[in-house]
Amino acid sequence: MGSVSGWLGERIPLRGAELRELTNEPVPYHLKRWWWCLGGTPAYLFVVQIVTGILLAFYYKAAPETAYESVRYITEEAAFGWFIRSLHKWAAQLMIAAVVLHQMRVYFTGAYRKPREINWMVGMTLLVCTLLTGFTGYSLVYEQLSYWGATVGANITDSVPLAGGFLKSLLLGGDGYNDHTLSRFYILHAAVLPVSMLLLLMVHITLIRLQGVTEFKFKDEPQGESRTFSFFPDHFYTELIIGLSLMILLAFLATVLPATMGPKADPLTTPEVIKPEWFFYVAFRWLKLFSETAAILSMGFVLFVMFLWPFVDGWIRRRWPASEASVWIGIGGVLAIIGLTVWEAAVAH
Amino acid sequence: MSLDTKRIVIALLSAAFVLSLLFVQWMEVSRRREEAGLSEPHVAVPASSENCVACHAQVTPGVVDHWNGSTHAEKGVGCTECHRADPGDADAFDHYGQVIAAVVTPLDCAACHRDVFDEFERSHHAKGGNILASLDNRLAETIEGNRAPFDPHSPTPGMGVSQVNGMASVAIGCLQCHGSKVALHATDGGKITVDELKPGPDGKPTDLQALGRIRKDANGKPVLHPDTWPNTGIGRINLDGSLGSCSACHSRHDFSPRRARQPENCGKCHLGPDHPQKEIYEESKHGVAYRDLRETSMHLDADSWVLGRDYSAAPTCATCHMSGNVRNGGRITHDPGERISWTNRPPVSLLMDTDVNHAVIREADPARRAALTTDSWQDKRNRMREVCSVCHTSDYVNNFYKQYDDFVVLYNEKFAKPGQDIIGALRANGLLTAPDFDEEIEWTWYYLWHHEGRRARHGASMMAPDYAHWHGMFEVAERFYQELIPQARELARRAADEGRNREAAAVTAVIDGILARPEHQWQGQ
Repeated sequence: MGSVSGWLGERIPLRGAELRELTNEPVPYHLKRWWWCLGGTPAYLFVVQIVTGILLAFYYKAAPETAYESVRYITEEAAFGWFIRSLHKWAAQLMIAAVVLHQMRVYFTGAYRKPREINWMVGMTLLVCTLLTGFTGYSLVYEQLSYWGATVGANITDSVPLAGGFLKSLLLGGDGYNDHTLSRFYILHAAVLPVSMLLLLMVHITLIRLQGVTEFKFKDEPQGESRTFSFFPDHFYTELIIGLSLMILLAFLATVLPATMGPKADPLTTPEVIKPEWFFYVAFRWLKLFSETAAILSMGFVLFVMFLWPFVDGWIRRRWPASEASVWIGIGGVLAIIGLTVWEAAVAH
Repeated sequence: MSLDTKRIVIALLSAAFVLSLLFVQWMEVSRRREEAGLSEPHVAVPASSENCVACHAQVTPGVVDHWNGSTHAEKGVGCTECHRADPGDADAFDHYGQVIAAVVTPLDCAACHRDVFDEFERSHHAKGGNILASLDNRLAETIEGNRAPFDPHSPTPGMGVSQVNGMASVAIGCLQCHGSKVALHATDGGKITVDELKPGPDGKPTDLQALGRIRKDANGKPVLHPDTWPNTGIGRINLDGSLGSCSACHSRHDFSPRRARQPENCGKCHLGPDHPQKEIYEESKHGVAYRDLRETSMHLDADSWVLGRDYSAAPTCATCHMSGNVRNGGRITHDPGERISWTNRPPVSLLMDTDVNHAVIREADPARRAALTTDSWQDKRNRMREVCSVCHTSDYVNNFYKQYDDFVVLYNEKFAKPGQDIIGALRANGLLTAPDFDEEIEWTWYYLWHHEGRRARHGASMMAPDYAHWHGMFEVAERFYQELIPQARELARRAADEGRNREAAAVTAVIDGILARPEHQWQGQ
């Protein structure tokens, strides 16, 4: 045993004390509260997506003639295929929800403020990547709704002033949905976007480690000097409990509400009702409220402001130091998102 | 929460997670057992069909029992998914709060099976209902029966028969295979069919006046005409304009793939004296192997049924004409004509070059024929070759096709075209009256091509030697030499006796010309 550890120690010169130093980052005391431990949830779900995604990729065939049949094969014939696909689908839904909730928590606690502006922007990019991964993944099934959802999405892209045609062509690999579109979506979904997210996550976590987690003090906590506790094992246990709970929740959802399949895509028959996935309901409803160009420009503007929010917020606070504008703007934004989503979900058209 | 408490929670959650994975394993094993037929499939009754199932389990338990064993039941496709109708549909009625229709058409099935619908609608099967102008139709409607009802000529003890339905043989015979034109009773005593309703592409009627004339019973249910319903003929002409009946092959309400794969399923219609494909198949080596191995090696219950992968013990009708095979990537077709290179249905067999409407091209000029062809007989044959080549070498398949082509051409050239010429000469010279089947030679000719000629060609196409020869060409030859030729000469002789020498000479010249050909010279040797 001693010779093995000696052999390994020579080749990997890491000592136990260094490992402890690496893992035992001091964790602010407010993270003892469960609700403040959800930042790791999207990352955890991301790992689930990578593992289940690799398993699905063993069988998936990205071409219009084969895509639907390969998904049907996964769902109906491959051993545990239905379970893996259902896990992938539900982990995607939960991941998007978790990313949005995490971002809302960061926003309302002002955790994006100096010196964490860049990390906020990295987080915003991660949000966009997550949504794009959801969009491309949904399209890969090649069922009627996902096909037409992708077509509508591409047409929306086309309406972006100046760059629209180029963006649509970049997305579809041509003027319209064609033989190369699915393989393009597949490469984006299974390679480009996950790798980008992985790199961004590394930057995100590195910045958190360098800057430390923002500390909060609650009224029922002792005031004064900041208190911390060890990452390992205390916080690690908390994260493990959250991870296990998530896995049980995912297994429950995958078995009780497994992923199903709609009719195969028919490019010649437009469905009466086209709906995207729920996380695009906001944008879809917004598009129906205004002219396409106005809606796209306004959405682009909102996204741009969100991206630069730490600086906008800094400017507001310098101008009106006592104001709580960011909170009220945030509440307005969340209510608008919920309202538009529910509205789109409630109506047929 | 203390560290110790956390450890306990982690242990409990880990156990719960392992249990959830065991549950998943149990689900997978159950699924596999169901697929292998080792356990009863799980039935999912959708909420919208719960009342239907509960009630019909009492009033028509067979229907519910059949459905319980269907893939539809496993997938949660219930009664309303197929029987659902719009209030504006001709045959729609309110049934305990649900608007439904009794007749489920291919357009209804297309809601989920669109590809299958498209393939089927362009097939010859779908056009089976268009037999109005055929000789078969005249036989059943006029010769076996009568187009109009007529009075009985004596009482039927025990039953008050006021009129004889002259179309009875058509309704229960021809149309049960070919398909009826589904009709509703009209308030004026007539029928309302697709012709009156004029449905649009979505199957909804556009003639609202016709809709208003539909007779309804005391419960508001449109009354289907008993001459046209019940009917599961393959080419049924439905009220919504769609053609066919999926249940012709996929019997309701279990829609069993197992049954559709068996030759007995096709045998409802493809048997008997005029096209005994079922009997021909049974005599062939394919049929013999199937009979021997059906319970052990055919895997008829399997979800996937691809020749060369899931089975290879023997082919059935479905294997060759419809099912997938490893050579074609497992592609199934619902247009059986896609793999047939000769049509052996008409008096003279034709090669199956088809046009944009999937109709057989009769154009003889090679250039014009090529321009019209969208799917050639060679394309169709190559699709069939893919099936054959799962078990046979290309030399074997090519030589079989050489034997088959030679046989069909022999039949065409020696008997079919000459027979057609003789009948044509008799008609052209006025030696036959206008109505069909009122003269002996018309029956003779009909037997020759419609019964014996088809038996011979189908026997050859499916490798059944006894049908190709004894039930086929032997009887064709006998009918030709012993009946057709003598009867034609007799008609010519009678015409000459009546002083119609020119006509008689013209017909005799045609007969003599045919018999002077080398293939008929044996008579003089």
